[in-house]
Amino acid sequence: MTAPARLDDLERLLGDPADDGNPIGNTAVLAADERDEMFAAGERVLDEYCLNAEFVPRRYGGRLAGADDLIQVLRTVFRRDPALGLGYGVSSFISSVNVWASGSPEQARWVAGTLLSNQKIASAYHELAHGNDFSRAEFAARPQAQGGWRLTGRKEVVTNVKRARGLVLLARTDERAGSRSHSQILVDKQAVPARAIRDLTRYPSVGMRGVQLGGIEFTDCPVGDEAVVGRPGQGIETALRSFQLTRTAIPTMLAGVLDSGLRLTLDFAAGRRLYGRSVADQPEVRRLLVDAYLDLLICDSLGLVVSRALHLLPGQTSMYASAVKYLVAKRLMDAMHQLSLVLGAHFYLREGRYGIFQKLLRDLAPAGFGHAARVACLGTMLPQVPLMARRGWVNPDPAGPDLFRIGEELPELPFDRLRVSAGGLDGLVGSLTAAADQIVGDSPEQRRLRLLAGQFRAELGDLAEAGAALHPGDLGVDARVEVLGLPARYATVLAASACLNVWLVRGDGPAWVVAALDRLARSIGRPGADRGDRYREPLYQELAARHADRRSFDLSRRVLPG
Amino acid sequence: MTREPTKTGNHPRKETDMASNAEGPADLRAWLTGCVAQYLRRPETEIDPTVRLADYGLDSVYALALCGDIETHLDMRLSETLVWDYPTVDELAAHLEELVAAQQPAGAR
Ligand SMILES: Cc1cc2nc3c(=O)[nH]c(=O)nc-3n(C[C@H](O)[C@H](O)[C@H](O)COP(=O)(O)OP(=O)(O)OC[C@H]3O[C@@H](n4cnc5c(N)ncnc54)[C@H](O)[C@@H]3O)c2cc1C
Repeated sequence: MTAPARLDDLERLLGDPADDGNPIGNTAVLAADERDEMFAAGERVLDEYCLNAEFVPRRYGGRLAGADDLIQVLRTVFRRDPALGLGYGVSSFISSVNVWASGSPEQARWVAGTLLSNQKIASAYHELAHGNDFSRAEFAARPQAQGGWRLTGRKEVVTNVKRARGLVLLARTDERAGSRSHSQILVDKQAVPARAIRDLTRYPSVGMRGVQLGGIEFTDCPVGDEAVVGRPGQGIETALRSFQLTRTAIPTMLAGVLDSGLRLTLDFAAGRRLYGRSVADQPEVRRLLVDAYLDLLICDSLGLVVSRALHLLPGQTSMYASAVKYLVAKRLMDAMHQLSLVLGAHFYLREGRYGIFQKLLRDLAPAGFGHAARVACLGTMLPQVPLMARRGWVNPDPAGPDLFRIGEELPELPFDRLRVSAGGLDGLVGSLTAAADQIVGDSPEQRRLRLLAGQFRAELGDLAEAGAALHPGDLGVDARVEVLGLPARYATVLAASACLNVWLVRGDGPAWVVAALDRLARSIGRPGADRGDRYREPLYQELAARHADRRSFDLSRRVLPG
Repeated sequence: MTREPTKTGNHPRKETDMASNAEGPADLRAWLTGCVAQYLRRPETEIDPTVRLADYGLDSVYALALCGDIETHLDMRLSETLVWDYPTVDELAAHLEELVAAQQPAGAR
C-alpha cells in the first residue's frame, strides 16, 4: 500500500475530530484527559489499524519504508491526540530504533513480533538523578562469571514502563567513565523472575496526562547474554546513531498539533464577530495566523527533508537531526502560543468547541525537553562546528534533488550507515548554494529570493569564520551562550535550504517560500526581503481557502475527513 | 611541511596545518597532550597520559571534536569513534602511531 492510501484508511477510522457524535472525536479525547487516562477507544482503533507496524521495517514484516511516510501517518494521530501519539505510539518507536540499528536478527524479530501483535516496548533511559546526562546513568548490568548479566537499579518517568511487554534499558556495563561503558538491554518482562522487578508509582503530569509515566526497579535480575543489544559498550554509539531517526521524526510528527491548532483558531476567528466585523478581519490576527502557517511550512520542510536525508545521506545526519529537534520544537511551541493569544479566553476553557486547544498546547510542551532537551541538542552539534567550518561550509557538494522530492520512493533506511559524526560533510548546505544559483530571472519574487539566499550564504560565511576561530575549550557542556548560538543559527540556515529546495522541486507559487525565508532571515538578525510583507495577504487567502476546503495546512495539503 | 609547535601547545585550526606523517611517537604524544590540555583549558603538565579523557570531562560528543583535530593534524581519515575506543592519551598515541606506520610506504622507515 502506498502511504497516501493507508493514510486515508487511518483518517477514515479516526473520523472527524470536531464531530461531537464521533466516539473518537475531541469530546471523548478531552474526557479521557480529564480522567488522566489513555484514550481507550482511540487505542482500540489504533490496534485495529496496527499502528505499531509503521515502526517495523518491511524486512521484519512491518510497513516502515520511507521516514517521510512514517511521519505523515503518525501526524494523523498527533493531530487528534498527542497523548495517543506518544503513549500508544512513539514510545515503542524510540525503543525499537536501538534494535533496528544494532540488534541481532533474533532481537529484531522478537521486537517486530511484539509490536506487530499490538504490544508495547518501553524505552527506559531516564533516571531522575541524571536527566539529559544519560552517560552518567547508574542502572547497572553486571556480567556474571557463568555468562549472562544481572540488572540492578531504577528507571524513572518512563512512558508505558508498567504496561509494556518489552523494555529497552540503557544500562552501565562498565564501571569506568567513558563512551564505551553503556549498553542497551532488551528485556521481555514476562521472561524475567517477577520478584526481581518492581513497579514504582505513576508520575502525574501537566500535559500528556493520559500517558502512563512510571518507574521500575530491578534487583539482581538475571538476563542472558543475548539480552545485550549490539556489543557490550556500544550503547552510547547506538543511541547517538539510531536516535537521529526519532529526533527528526517525532518533532516533525508533532507539526500535526500546530495543524490542528491553526484549524481551531481559524474556526474561531472566522466564526466570531466583534465590533461588527469578523475577528479574522483584524490585521493583527491575520499576522499571527500567517506567521503560524509559515512556521508550519518551515517545520514541515526541514523535518521531511532531514527524514529523507536519513535514507539518502545517512553519514551526514548527526547534526541535521539535532537541528530538527532544536528548531522544529521551538517553532511549533511558539506558534501554538501565538495562536492561543488569538483565542484569548477561549483557549483557557477546558470544554466546548475550542476546549481541545489547551490540551494540544500542554501536550506539545515535552517537544522542548523530552528525548533530549533542545539546548542539549545544540550541545551535541557544537563539537562538530569547527570541522564543519573547515570543510562542510566551504564549497560543499550539493545533495541530489531526490532529497527534496517528498513522498517519493526511498531506499530502505540504512540504520547501519548512520554515523555519530558527519565528518565535515554537509549536502544540505551545499544545496542552498546550488539552489540560489538556479534562481535566475527578474520577477520581483526571483529578485527577492536571490536576495534572501544571499543573506543565508552570508550567514554561512560568518558561521564558518566564527566556527574556525572557536577555541576547543569552548565546545564542552559549559559552552558560552554566544557559542551555542552558532549551531542554533546553523539550524536556521538548514531550514532555509530545505524550504528553498522543496519549493524548487514542487513548482508552487512563490509566496510561501519568499515569506518563509524572510521570516527565517529576520530570526537570525538579517534584514530579510524588502517589502516581504506583500506576500502576507495572499498567504492569508491561501490559508483561508485551505481551511474552507478542509485541507491540511502542511506541505501535503491533504483533504481531511469531515 | 609545517609542524605544530607542540611546546606552546598551539592548537591546529586550519586544514593546511598538517604535520608530517613521519612525526615520531614522542612528538605525537606531546601534540596530543597539548591538544587535550587546550580542550580542558589546563596546563599540559596537568594532563596525565594514563587517565581516561572522560575522567577529565571530555564527554562523548565533545571527544568527537578531538577526532576531527587529529584527522586534520595527521591528514588522515580516522574512525570517528577512535577517541572512545582509545580513551587515554597513551592508548590513543600508541594506536595512531600504528596507523601512521601502516601508511608509510615500505622502506620509508
Ligand atoms: C511526558 C514525558 C514522557 C517521558 N517518557 C520517557 C520515556 O519513555 N523514556 C525515558 O527514558 N524518559 C522519558 N521521560 C523523561 C525525559 O526523557 C526526561 O525528563 C528528559 O530527558 C530530560 O530531563 P530533565 O528535563 O530532567 O532535564 P535535565 O537534564 O535535568 O536538565 C536541567 C536543565 O539543564 C539543561 N541541560 C541539560 N543538558 C544540557 C546540555 N547538554 N547543555 C545545555 N543545557 C542542558 C536543560 O535544558 C534544563 O534546562 C519522559 C518525560 C516526560 C515529561
